[in-house]
Amino acid sequence: MRTSSLAKVAVIGVAGVMALSACSNDSGGNNSSNNNLTQQPAGSGSNANSNKTYKIGWQGPLSGDNQQLGINEYNGTKLAVEQANAKGDLGFKIVLVESDDVGTADKAPAAAAKLLQDPAILGVVGPAFSGPTSATGKTYAAANMGLISGSATNATLTSSGFTTFHRVVPTDGTEGTQAAEWLAKKFKKVFVVDDTSTYGKGVADVVRKTLASKGTNVISQGVAANTQDYGAIAQRVTQSGADALFYGGYDAQAALFAKALAATGYKGLKMTGNGGKSSVFTSGAGAAGNGWYFSCGCQDATTAPEAKDFAAAYEKMFNTPPSTYSPECFDAANGMIEALKAAVQKTNGNPTRKDVADAINALDYKGITTQVKFAPNGEVANATVNLYQQKDGKIVMLGKIQDQS
Amino acid sequence: MNYLILGITRGSMYALIALGYTLVYGVLQLINFAHSEVFMSGAFGSYAIVHLLVGDGKATPSWAVPFILIAGILSGAITAAVIAWLLERVAYRPLRRRGAPKLAFLISAIGASFFLSQLAGKLFGRLTSNSFPEFFDQNAVIFRPFGAEVRVLQIVIVASAVLMMIFLDRLVSVTKLGRSIRAISEDAPTAALMGIDIDKTISRTFIIGGLLGGAAGFLFGLNFSFGNTMGFIPGVKAFAAAVLGGIGNIRGAMIGGLLLGIVENLVPLVNIDTKWTDVVAFVVLVLVLMFRPTGILGERLGRAA
Repeated sequence: MRTSSLAKVAVIGVAGVMALSACSNDSGGNNSSNNNLTQQPAGSGSNANSNKTYKIGWQGPLSGDNQQLGINEYNGTKLAVEQANAKGDLGFKIVLVESDDVGTADKAPAAAAKLLQDPAILGVVGPAFSGPTSATGKTYAAANMGLISGSATNATLTSSGFTTFHRVVPTDGTEGTQAAEWLAKKFKKVFVVDDTSTYGKGVADVVRKTLASKGTNVISQGVAANTQDYGAIAQRVTQSGADALFYGGYDAQAALFAKALAATGYKGLKMTGNGGKSSVFTSGAGAAGNGWYFSCGCQDATTAPEAKDFAAAYEKMFNTPPSTYSPECFDAANGMIEALKAAVQKTNGNPTRKDVADAINALDYKGITTQVKFAPNGEVANATVNLYQQKDGKIVMLGKIQDQS
Repeated sequence: MNYLILGITRGSMYALIALGYTLVYGVLQLINFAHSEVFMSGAFGSYAIVHLLVGDGKATPSWAVPFILIAGILSGAITAAVIAWLLERVAYRPLRRRGAPKLAFLISAIGASFFLSQLAGKLFGRLTSNSFPEFFDQNAVIFRPFGAEVRVLQIVIVASAVLMMIFLDRLVSVTKLGRSIRAISEDAPTAALMGIDIDKTISRTFIIGGLLGGAAGFLFGLNFSFGNTMGFIPGVKAFAAAVLGGIGNIRGAMIGGLLLGIVENLVPLVNIDTKWTDVVAFVVLVLVLMFRPTGILGERLGRAA
């Protein structure tokens, strides 16, 4: 009797935990895209493929610490797909399937498996983050699944044998080098902190190396990404007397760091990379975030002239202006749609994943942030890094970082 | 000096949480792994009240600040106490009634911990860096002993933590409830024979632990940030602090918490990379336990308190 009731309690407990974690996986996502399959009226085109439906996947964080970046990206992707479907000149319908990887490498294989097991999915927009990409790049490559990421920027991703991986943004290597060159123009002593993540340490290491090569004095520290108390490190930065601080890490943590730095009264210049530039940072850091600089291989969708129409359509659909990486994912998704279109035409309506992946390699499509055209290793053909700054709670673009004094 | 002050601030929060572990261990000889979520619920509970009172905090008159702080502490403490009480009812009491083995309590605690943290995530969103409205200038420097800077918020945290600890210490050593708690931790069956209502006392012990943990949740959220996963790391640290001081020993938990907080914040002084902070803290823990296996002040609630 005793053991059986104990077993019951244990089973209920474990089942409860599993049920909850299962629920949490789709809590952040917007499932409306799944309905398109059944509810869309037949396509307006009249050719043979008009009733055909192909699927593309999206992988990124829709829950967890970094969900805001993921939601920005998912919305950008979704807008591209819905616009393409609404136009009706594709000759087929596209269904978008999202998969939440929480932005962490350990959840990524399951997220990738979800997309890979559906044979109708022919290409994936994403993965959004570098850690998940390095955890799943091999699997996707083995399945010939073409990937176009709007934001996975770790420099090593395109030299790791992930043959189907492409990205529309410059690498952390490019970004970090240019950010460091800018810092080196003005400062002799720079404090560089990373969050020990694939992305954060990657970009911070490039900054350190470049600064050192320019003769700037560099102080290096790491702070684990799950830290809540930045008091000690902020104190250390302030007491070091460094003229500038560069933080390699993501928005939520950068906001905490910004607050701690403000509390210790740090007066130097503060800067972070593309992972910190988001509304999570501005709302989390509040006034402490004013004056922070951001380097980002991304476009400001609210001001860049190429992106005006996009920004209006985005705001109409999601009731919020586009944010970091929405336009890049819009481009990545449109690139994927172009590739899908080419593959469908070439194969008479029966493309395989490999056909789509090949079509991605051949892309030359004018997007709103960049020319979607890839070098053989999957890097975007021409890359621009921009400098941003938070002013009065808003992040504004200052221009190309190489042009800044 | 600045590091020492940061350490004392963080340490006093650890101490408040550690007390929750130690109190429950004292009466039940069981580690309440869901205590970290009790702490988390305190932050959310107090946020609801503080947000209600001050909105975005910009228009708060300075005379109201102390009252809002007290309201925050109280609301955090009460929310957490309710959660702790429920936790005892749902996750522990049924097991105790049926005489389940210790391991079952552990599993039940871990399950409850997951449940609460995911529930909070579901209800309030999964952002980890929610922050309280800034309703006073937290960073104003009050005085500068030996060139260090002591800030308003740090004083608030340390002072309220110390007050609560003194209160607890008195409660356990002089009141009837305190005597019952000590009696049960000495020898539960005998205490029951002497007419002490064990269930009631255990329930109240959870409530006291919850009150302290919830207050710590408010202070922690005010100082750093809060979110549904905030409990885990402070929970583990506070548990370590309780062990460091001698688990089951109330004054031990206070000392252990302070010591751990200070050690963690002194890491930058010896020029070790900040990412090794946790490593250093736990090396200290292991070293202390090697020489004093029962912690700095030794085990048992009854003996020292």
